[in-house]
Amino acid sequence: MNGDWRDSPAAADYTVDELMVTTLAQYFGNGDQVCNGMASFIPVAAFMLARRTHAPELVWFASSVGLDPRPERIPASTLEAPLWRDSIMYLDQYRDFWDLVQDGRWITAFCVGTAQIDQYGNANNSVIGNRFHSPKVRLPGTAGLADMCSIDKDLYFWVTDHSPRSLVAKVDFISGAGWLGGGNERRNLGLGGGPRAVVSNLAVMDFHPQNKRMRLVSVHPGNSIEQVQHATGFSLLVPESGVPDTRVPTVMEVELIRNAIDPDGMRLRGFS
Amino acid sequence: MQPRLTSLSEAISIVRDGDIVAVQNMATQSAPMALVREIIRQGKKDIGLVVLVGGIAVDWLAAAGVINRLTGAAVSMEQFGLCQQYRLAVERGEIRVEELSESLLNARLGAGARRLPFLPSRGAIGTDLIDQNPKNLRLIDDPFGGRSVIACRALRPDVALLHAHRADRYGNIQVEPTAMWPDFAIMPKAAEKVVVSVEEIVDSDDLRRSPEKTKLPGFMIDAVVEIPFGAHPTSFFPIYGYDSQFHRAWVSVSRDRPAVEAFLQKHVYEPRVQSDYLQTVGGDETVKRIEASGQSA
Repeated sequence: MNGDWRDSPAAADYTVDELMVTTLAQYFGNGDQVCNGMASFIPVAAFMLARRTHAPELVWFASSVGLDPRPERIPASTLEAPLWRDSIMYLDQYRDFWDLVQDGRWITAFCVGTAQIDQYGNANNSVIGNRFHSPKVRLPGTAGLADMCSIDKDLYFWVTDHSPRSLVAKVDFISGAGWLGGGNERRNLGLGGGPRAVVSNLAVMDFHPQNKRMRLVSVHPGNSIEQVQHATGFSLLVPESGVPDTRVPTVMEVELIRNAIDPDGMRLRGFS
Repeated sequence: MQPRLTSLSEAISIVRDGDIVAVQNMATQSAPMALVREIIRQGKKDIGLVVLVGGIAVDWLAAAGVINRLTGAAVSMEQFGLCQQYRLAVERGEIRVEELSESLLNARLGAGARRLPFLPSRGAIGTDLIDQNPKNLRLIDDPFGGRSVIACRALRPDVALLHAHRADRYGNIQVEPTAMWPDFAIMPKAAEKVVVSVEEIVDSDDLRRSPEKTKLPGFMIDAVVEIPFGAHPTSFFPIYGYDSQFHRAWVSVSRDRPAVEAFLQKHVYEPRVQSDYLQTVGGDETVKRIEASGQSA
């Protein structure tokens, strides 16, 4: 890809999935190392876009198994071959990969979608309701989420259904530690890293540097602050200066996503 | 060396009712499915399952009423969705879940493998997984003055079930170097007994030609069984990929109890040998299809 992706004009016909991909991609730079887990089409598209545009040196562990892969396109699974095609190294899960995770120098960022996220960036993929045993709804489980969230990683969340069900005041169960109760609570436990941003189908949020409450950064074109607030299960912080529209994808970014990275439209899975 | 080669039914007769059984699995990958079907056919009861990320194997074991507790990090068939029979059984209180992160499970099994009381981990500090599980997880001070860590109590399964590429009749287990999801590093060493199905039994001299591929010594293995395509419908690289059609067929019936029972009857209870099973899932056509998708790895 030539450098001219920067000069490409705004696309007129982008879709919200593409906007989420371009927005997430901006968070991953040349110095970062990322990995992906199950059913992570939006993050994988963002990593592949970043590597083709502003961050060719971004280190990616496909499926947390294949280092620096060269997949032709996003396949039907982000946890199976051929996503890790032409990797430079296969990592043994139980030694290589999890050993790397334990060290804050490696695998610096994690991007994940969860059933619930709360106003302090705590995440839940375990149970819905107030009972852990015989729960109202049994979710898949934390998998590697709890580890990534507690071991010094920068955390990015993607949400395809921004609603009071997915963005809640307090998660029913903390299966991934965010800023916990806010303020210094996370740091006082000795945890580095932490939630940096939430990219939903309506808006982009980050976390207030002191109190750690979720804060509106930008609203996707076509939505108002009021609409986003109405779709959120708690009160979002809104800067007094107001919030801009989210940057829309460029023509070239949309072409890359549609024609090169994800021609089969796998990124649309997970949108209802 | 003592011969370890045996029949499927004798291999699984090692599993007793009430045992803790560890099953190798990552969502749609590398599950010892033929061993799992035999557990169901033998009508084992009150089994406690240990699994990193369980898939269709967990759904079948739940549907057949084999398991009443599960220790693991997640249960999901990834692109094919949640395991509905498992989910329903947990919600009804028929399966009690001990949820661990992947690091915490590896630490518990790692302590078991090394015969240590526990191993520490930094994973999951601050989550509700810790308070939920005081029996096996405790936040403890670093005796050397550093940051607190989570002590993960040793877990020693009674039996580990795995699938591998090849073995000799003495149970020396070889694994092709590929994307490494199957756990040959920790889980089998933690277990009291180890049962392995393999794609093929070969002569020991074949193993001697590439000893770097031998991952488990025969003296650690209690039973080895030859079962080609023994991980179907999960993937087993580089030989075959996951079977999308079969996963979808299961998903399409998995919320409907009579349809679930008919499905298990057809694919689990009736085909007692692997060649019969492969016929029920589409025979040569299916074999060619999954071999082709294995090539794409």
